Amino acid sequence: MKTTLSLALRNVLRNKRRTAITFMAIISGVVSLIIFGGFIEYTFWGLRELTIKTQLGHIQIYKKGYWEKGIAEPNKYLIKDPEAIEKTFSSISDITTVTRRLSFSGLISTQEKTLPCKGIGVVVEKEKQMSDFETIVAGKDLEAAESYGGIVGSELIKALGGKVGDSLTILTTTPEGVINAVDFKVVGIAQTGSQDYDSVFIKLPIEIVQDLLNTTAAEKIIIFLKETKDVEKIASTLKEVIDKNKMDLELKKWSELADFYWKVVGIYHNIFDVIKVIISVIVLFSIANTITMSVYERIREIGTMRAMGTTRARIIALFITEGALMGILGGLLGIFVGILIANIINMSGGIYISPPPGMSKGYVSLILIVPKVIFYAFSSILVVAILSSIYPAYRASRLKVVEALQHI
Amino acid sequence: MGQGISKKSLAMISLKNVTKDYKLGKSVVRALQGIDLEINKGEFVSICGPSGSGKTTLLNLLGCLDSPTTGQVIVMNNDVARLSDTVLSRLRNKTIGFIFQTFNLIPVLTAYENVEYPLVLLGLSQRERQQRVLKMLDEVGLINFTKHRPDELSGGQRQRVAIARALVTNPKMVLADEPTANLDSVTGEEILKIMKKMNEEHHTTFIFSTHDSQIMKYAEKIYNIRDGRIS
Repeated sequence: MKTTLSLALRNVLRNKRRTAITFMAIISGVVSLIIFGGFIEYTFWGLRELTIKTQLGHIQIYKKGYWEKGIAEPNKYLIKDPEAIEKTFSSISDITTVTRRLSFSGLISTQEKTLPCKGIGVVVEKEKQMSDFETIVAGKDLEAAESYGGIVGSELIKALGGKVGDSLTILTTTPEGVINAVDFKVVGIAQTGSQDYDSVFIKLPIEIVQDLLNTTAAEKIIIFLKETKDVEKIASTLKEVIDKNKMDLELKKWSELADFYWKVVGIYHNIFDVIKVIISVIVLFSIANTITMSVYERIREIGTMRAMGTTRARIIALFITEGALMGILGGLLGIFVGILIANIINMSGGIYISPPPGMSKGYVSLILIVPKVIFYAFSSILVVAILSSIYPAYRASRLKVVEALQHI
Repeated sequence: MGQGISKKSLAMISLKNVTKDYKLGKSVVRALQGIDLEINKGEFVSICGPSGSGKTTLLNLLGCLDSPTTGQVIVMNNDVARLSDTVLSRLRNKTIGFIFQTFNLIPVLTAYENVEYPLVLLGLSQRERQQRVLKMLDEVGLINFTKHRPDELSGGQRQRVAIARALVTNPKMVLADEPTANLDSVTGEEILKIMKKMNEEHHTTFIFSTHDSQIMKYAEKIYNIRDGRIS
C-alpha cells in the first residue's frame, strides 16, 4: 500500500506540466463549487433570517385549531389573554422577545379614493427590537408616543395619491360582523422589497387594530430566540409548558411556515445540482485524459511491472491511486484558492445582485465559507477523480504483457 | 511413463511440440514451429539466432509471459496454459527474474527502490527487503548508487540494477532478452561476467538470448534458433 501510494505520487508529479493543467481543472471545479455553494448558503441564510426576523419569528403560537379551521374564520380563533401567555413564555431562557400580532383585511381610503388593504397590528416597543421587514423611504418608523400613526406601503400610498402626514381611514368588519372604521395618520412610507405586498400593506400599532376589530385579543404570539439553531429545543420546551399548564394553544416553527423560503431553497439546489454535474463532467474528462495519456506513455513500464509479478488488481490500484491523489491534492489546493477568493470577494464588499422578479430592491451577497460546502466540493471532486481513473486503470491492467514490453 | 515423471522432475522448463502464431493484419505468422526443449536447474543457456528468428517469442513462453498456440509449456511442473493470470503473476514474482535489452527500470524509482520493488510484491518485511537489496546492489558493484534514479546512471549501471532486481527474489531462473544489445562490448562482457558469477554463486538458471558471438562463449549450452525452429 505504502509503495503503491509512493509510486502513484511520483507518477503524478512525473509530468509536471500535464499535472499542473489537470490541477487547474480540478482547482477551478472546487473553487466554483465553493464560491457558488457559499453564495447560495449566504442567500439561504439571509432569506431565512430575514423571513424570521421580519415576518415569522422563530416560533408562532396560536389558539388550538387555528391551523385547521382558523384560516377561514380567523376571528373565531383569537388568543383572548395574550399578555398572560407572553409573560409565561418570556421566562424561558434563550427567548429574547415575545410579542403579538393581529392582522386584518379591509379597505383604506382618502377622501377621493378607496383601495383594498392588508393590515398588521404590532406592539410598537417590541417591534423596535426586531429587524424591519420594510425600509422606510419617507417619514419615520412607528413610535409608541404616536399611538394613531401608521406605516403604508409605497405602492399603496402612490395609488391612493397620499403622502406622509395625511389622515387615512380604514374600514373592516369586526368578529361580530359589524362594519367598523378607524382613522390613522401616515407617519411613514415603506418598501418591503415585494411590489405586490407594497401595494396592499399597512402597519399599525396593535391597539388601533384591536379598536378596529373591537377586541383585546391577538391572532398570534410570535417568539424570537437568540439563535435560529435552538428552534427545535425551545419548541419542545414550549410544548411541555403548554401541555403542563393545559393551555388551549398550538405552535408552529418558522420552518413550517416559510413556504417561500423552501421554494427558493429548492430552486437554488436544482441550479446547484446542474452546476455540479457540469463541473464534474469537465473534471472527469480532464482527469480521465491525463490518466489515459499516462497509461499510454507507460505501456512498457506496465509490461515490466506485470512481468515482475504485479497483478492486474495492483495495476488498477496504482492508477486509481494516481487519480485519487490528483483529486486530493487538486482538491486541497482548490479549497485554499476557493477560501482565498471568497475572502477577497467579501472584503471587496460582496457581489451586487439585481432585484429578483417581483422585488423592488437588489441586495449585496457575500460568500459564506461553510464547512459543509467545502467538504461537499472536496468529496465530489475526489469521487469524480476516482471514477475518471477507473476505465484507464482497467485498460492498463488488461494490456498483454508481451505486447506491452514490445511497445515503443 | 516412469521415464516421463523422472524427466519432468529434473527439467526446470520443458517445451513439448510448441508452436506460436501471431496475427499480422489478416495473415497469420508462425513464430515458433514445433519446439521441443528442456532446461535444467543451474544451467547457463544461450538462445542464439538472427533478428526475427523467434528468440524473444521463445523467452516470453519460458517466462510465462505468453501462452503457446499449440503444445505444452511446463515451467517448474506447472502447465502454463492452465494457470490464471493471478497465479502466473505470483509464479513470475517468486521464481523468475527478467532482464531486458532496454533495462526497463521504473524511472521514478531510485536504484534501491527498483531492486526493492519485486520484494514488495513478495510481501517481505522492510528489514528483510533492505538486507537483500543492499546485498544485491553490493554484488553488482552499485552500493554507492542506491539513491540514483535510472536517468542518473550509465547504460551498464542500469543493466546492473536490472540484474540485481532480477536476482533479489532468489528466483529459480533468470531470463535475459539480449541483455547486452544496448551496451558497448566492454560493458556487455562485464554484464555477462556478472551474470555468470551469479549463476555460479546462486545456482540460478540463466537463459539469455543474443546474436553476439562474443557473448555466446559464456554459455554452457547454446540453442540456435532460425525461422522458429531449434537447429
